[in-house]
Amino acid sequence: MHTEAIDPPGINWQRVSPRYVTVRLAEWALGNLVAVLVLSAPLVFVLLGWWSWPPLWLAVTVPAAMLAVALWRLVLIPRQVRAIGYAERDEDLLVRGGIFFQRTMAVPYGRMQYVDIAVGPVERALGLCTLKLHTASPGTNARVPGLPATEGARLREELTARGEARLAGL
Amino acid sequence: MPPAAARRDATSASDDGWLRVHPASPFVRGWFALAAIAFFFGRDIFERALQGQPVFEEGLARRAPWLLGGGAAVLAVAVLGFVLTWYFTKYQVSGGYVRVTSGLLFRQHRQARLDRVQAIDIVQPLLARIFGLAELKFEVADAGESAMRLAYLKIGDARQLRATILARASGAAAVAAPEAGAASQGGQPARPATEAPEFAVLSVPPSRLLGSLLLSEQSFFVVAGGAASVVLSAVTDNRAFYFYLVPAVLGLAAGYWNYFNRGYNFTAAVSPDGIRLRYGLLDTQAQTLPPGRIQAVKVAQSPLWRPFGWYRMQVNVAGYGHSGNAVEGNTRTILLPVGRLPDVLAMLSLVLPDPGTDQPAAVFAAGLNGRDSGAGFVTTPQRAWLLAPFAWRRNGFAATETALLLRSGRWWRELVVVPHQRTQSLALQQGPVARLFRVADLVLHTTAGPVAPRLTQAGLDEVRQLFNDQSARARLARKRQTTEQWLSQVAPAIEPANAGTPPQQEGQQHG
Repeated sequence: MHTEAIDPPGINWQRVSPRYVTVRLAEWALGNLVAVLVLSAPLVFVLLGWWSWPPLWLAVTVPAAMLAVALWRLVLIPRQVRAIGYAERDEDLLVRGGIFFQRTMAVPYGRMQYVDIAVGPVERALGLCTLKLHTASPGTNARVPGLPATEGARLREELTARGEARLAGL
Repeated sequence: MPPAAARRDATSASDDGWLRVHPASPFVRGWFALAAIAFFFGRDIFERALQGQPVFEEGLARRAPWLLGGGAAVLAVAVLGFVLTWYFTKYQVSGGYVRVTSGLLFRQHRQARLDRVQAIDIVQPLLARIFGLAELKFEVADAGESAMRLAYLKIGDARQLRATILARASGAAAVAAPEAGAASQGGQPARPATEAPEFAVLSVPPSRLLGSLLLSEQSFFVVAGGAASVVLSAVTDNRAFYFYLVPAVLGLAAGYWNYFNRGYNFTAAVSPDGIRLRYGLLDTQAQTLPPGRIQAVKVAQSPLWRPFGWYRMQVNVAGYGHSGNAVEGNTRTILLPVGRLPDVLAMLSLVLPDPGTDQPAAVFAAGLNGRDSGAGFVTTPQRAWLLAPFAWRRNGFAATETALLLRSGRWWRELVVVPHQRTQSLALQQGPVARLFRVADLVLHTTAGPVAPRLTQAGLDEVRQLFNDQSARARLARKRQTTEQWLSQVAPAIEPANAGTPPQQEGQQHG
């Protein structure tokens, strides 16, 4: 499957840091492993003979399905991270993401209300940051995760400067 | 850009030029509390009187001082609270800002830039209307702050203040009457701004409003529910459950009443200040939307309305979306509760004075009722008909020089119009199924509101082209837009009266 299908042609995408995979792995572990462990609890109780319901097949199927979904997500993470990209054009910033559900967003510099940078604990340890763009619309959910801290700071300054130069009202 | 034009801080502003709202306003606002107190203390006496007992029972002589004292104390505290609130609430219009301070213990100071005013409403609840008072409410474009309110002013003062704010906001007052502007630094303008002349555009007759109400989806469910109840009771031979329908009926009646009360006597007019909407049976409201403040428009028609050719129009205006009260937010975003095609076209011509096409009527009519590729519309390609078996011939877009038109819906017809200069950002989206058919969605982001512009299942090549073109068009439109065009396009008759209006300053189209 051709993953670049919806992008406008001829754009030189900047990719985010491969280290961002680690951040996603940490998030994955926190979310999915906990879910699998919790869903496995009935299986343990049934095996120990403490619980008579649910039946064994159900107690096995549910955590197994969850585990399969979790592993599928795990396999996808590196590809998803590779799919994230951004491109500074003359008048707007393009942000893309997703493999199955693709999204390409154009945020005009003149429409940016403010730009902020968020850093989580794992990101900080790896020297990464997440850039968020805000316009007057709540629908503009433009974030560029996994930027190296220096690149993030540079981009923020650059975007702010360009935004001020082209600022328009609502 | 400073995101918050309004801010809070402790202030020690001097008293000169600060005005207070009408002294009666705390009682108009707090009538409910006063009524509750009166009810609480009056009930006992009233009940006795009803039962024919002596109003003053024998034990009362002992309790009377306590009762009276307690009642007086509660009343005094309530009144004192109202009076203090009133005393410490002050406002000022000067130097391009509206400032409102309030609070006794926790001082609150808010100021809003006049050139960022998005909309001004004059609201008159029934009681305020009886006393000739009105609440002035204005929306300012900034991050998440709700409207600034002044409650209550005399209706004449409220209109005056609205005219002043709009005149300042448009930049007319500062240049046309410099002496007035200078004198007004102290607060009240020396020469009051006159209200801009206005021309009635349309009104909604009550019969049509009633008809639209009876033919709403809600009524459909009422009829269906009523029929189901009758059948059920006949089958099960159980009459008792009619009783349970009472709350539902009450709720529905309240809903209908609210809609009717709000939509009654709806009139739209145009003035140099913008679009004026007036409506209300018991509580009346007058909204003013300055030119170019409307971010997106939706024209919708349900199947029940189609035989009558009725449409409803809703708008996104910055600030309206933040309205705390959902019902209030809903009514304020209605540009036209129910109207025929000429009404819709008239309103669209106000919202979009320059349609950017030679045959606006044909293009908009095609957007409202047409399908396939008439009048420049590009629809979902035939290969993707399975994704929208009914609507694929209607789902489509057309771009004029000034706006993007998105139409959708086979049964529930919808046309969304977004002026190019109002587009915030845009996104292409595609899921796995859409990829199989080589189609994609385009989402335009606007401010919060009932309109969510989305082009569904457009052919990949077309939508990619649109994505690029739309970015370019929005960029051009942002540079080109002037308020002057709005006046000249909509109401040439106003021009002579308003000939002195200087070209708008660049900053005034913003916000």
